[in-house]
Amino acid sequence: MNGTPDPEKLTVAIADVDEKAALEISQRMLEAGEDPAEVLEVCRRGMSVVGQRFESGKYFLSEMIMAAEIFNEILSMVRPRLRRIEEKPLGRIVLGTVQGDVHDIGKNIMIAMLEAERFQVIDLGVDVPPEKFIDAIKEYQPDVVGMSGLLTSAIESMKNTVESIRATGLTARIKIVIGGGRADEIAREYTGADAFADNAAKGVEIIKAMIVG
Amino acid sequence: MGTSRDQLYRERMERIERATELKEPDRVPITPNFSFFAARHAGYTNREIMYDYEKSCRAIIKTTVDFGWDATNGPPGLGLTLFSLALLRDHPDVSPLLGRANGVIHDILGERYGRFPGRELPDDSPFQFIGGEYMKVDEYDRLIRDPTEFITNVIMPRTCRSFERPGSAAYLGSAIKLGYENSRFRAMYVNFIEELKGLGFPLNSSASSYAPLDLIGDYLRDIKNVLLDVFRVPDKVKQACDALTPLMIEYGKLTGSSAIKLIGSPRVFIPLHLNEYLSPKKFDEFYWSTLKEVIFGLVKEGLVPFIFYEGYHDPHLETMLELPRGKTIAWFEKTDLRKAKEILGGHTCIMGGPPASLLIGGTPAKVEDYMKSLLEDLKPGGGFIVNPAVSGIPDDAKHENVKAMTEAVMRYGVY
Repeated sequence: MNGTPDPEKLTVAIADVDEKAALEISQRMLEAGEDPAEVLEVCRRGMSVVGQRFESGKYFLSEMIMAAEIFNEILSMVRPRLRRIEEKPLGRIVLGTVQGDVHDIGKNIMIAMLEAERFQVIDLGVDVPPEKFIDAIKEYQPDVVGMSGLLTSAIESMKNTVESIRATGLTARIKIVIGGGRADEIAREYTGADAFADNAAKGVEIIKAMIVG
Repeated sequence: MGTSRDQLYRERMERIERATELKEPDRVPITPNFSFFAARHAGYTNREIMYDYEKSCRAIIKTTVDFGWDATNGPPGLGLTLFSLALLRDHPDVSPLLGRANGVIHDILGERYGRFPGRELPDDSPFQFIGGEYMKVDEYDRLIRDPTEFITNVIMPRTCRSFERPGSAAYLGSAIKLGYENSRFRAMYVNFIEELKGLGFPLNSSASSYAPLDLIGDYLRDIKNVLLDVFRVPDKVKQACDALTPLMIEYGKLTGSSAIKLIGSPRVFIPLHLNEYLSPKKFDEFYWSTLKEVIFGLVKEGLVPFIFYEGYHDPHLETMLELPRGKTIAWFEKTDLRKAKEILGGHTCIMGGPPASLLIGGTPAKVEDYMKSLLEDLKPGGGFIVNPAVSGIPDDAKHENVKAMTEAVMRYGVY
């Protein structure tokens, strides 16, 4: 094949979580002088299809993890070539796994999905104490704070973190979302968060609705 | 008094057996697993529970007696099933000793899979399994060729600081300490079982096995990598699962037969993790085919696989009809229990209960409502056991909520 590959094929490759094809097409697009920002945009459309397929039950977590990996691989190819600063992000999110919990698979899928949707994500890592969330809120003034956790003890830790953040009065316009395997409506109510998500696709949807409306 | 407790013990055992065999017992059994909830209830720190056998046993006995459940579990520990495989063929008599770590064993091994209260974590944190990438993707062939050799000579030195240099003083000293510590634990454990039995309470299960793909995900490649491997090197993953399958059957049989002798329970616990990560097609190809072999292998020996289906198992419920009828227990977490009963009723005993959030953040009234409705729907016809999702009672559960759950079973669970 010669010339610039069809961008549509890249969208399809990502949507089908076909890593080999996705990387190959991206590479050829970049080599053919395609605008890196455009390559990224095409990837985003593919990621959006992945999210939809997860929501509809066609895809499972393994496809989400593979898609996040592909997106990150393409991102690392594209980033050094970006000639202009990307357009303004849709919103800013501070995200971390709460204190006492060191699991990060869910959080990392969430980050890839959010970045694919053009959000800026500040990743605080794992085992994040409430003070670190508060410092990050002061520094970055995010639209949304996301708290992740896998252990059942994360529920108590989220409650503690939400209360500490609320006590600072910083959250007047900031929404708090809890996420992870044990997050549900009862946990949301108990922790005092604004919303919960027990999968990344749902999390992105909620955050999008909060920020973009 | 002695006789009546003896009778209670037999009644409790029978209740669980009947439910497993899909018959109606006198009442729905309640057999909660729990770990650090007992520490809170008995007034110990998590660290004490992990490092002090006496306190660990006291906490379990007190909690079990106070709530009056039908079965209880042993002292909590971090599962290290992979290590057992190193000794499974040559030293089966001591192989299971490597399969589980309390705090003392964690320290002796210097193992890297876990984080423990009072060590890497604050005194009141639960221990956590972290895993990690301890096998590279190009090492599948070596694992496939000889899993025992690979685990013993490659993985154990990578994952245990004490075994980094085979033959070193650290290595020998740790092996001796491990033996010493295990006989100390064993003596305590035998007394603990006897004491519980004297009080009328059986243990639910003390044997275990694993789904081959989970073994690779948890101990060798880590969860994310093994899932990427499923896309990138599918044939290697399948061959590795095939190579591990006979070992998992053997390990389940070994621990199962010793559990029958020690606690009179044929139940072999198999905790599943990757089930909800996989689409039905991948589930069947990479997970279920080998897990099914393990399950059938254990059932053939008269053992009862007691399987924890983590997360949402809803898309895979139909596949469970391929298992022998009335020979396994299906413990669900977020799966819709009513839908599970629709599909599995009369075929597989269902185990489940309130979500962690309800026991932590709910009220006794809400717990009672939840349990009443659950029992109304799940009780009819038998084949139902109460045990909360995810690993039983969460550490931070409120005492009054656990009490409400238990009382609801006594009230609404009677046949």
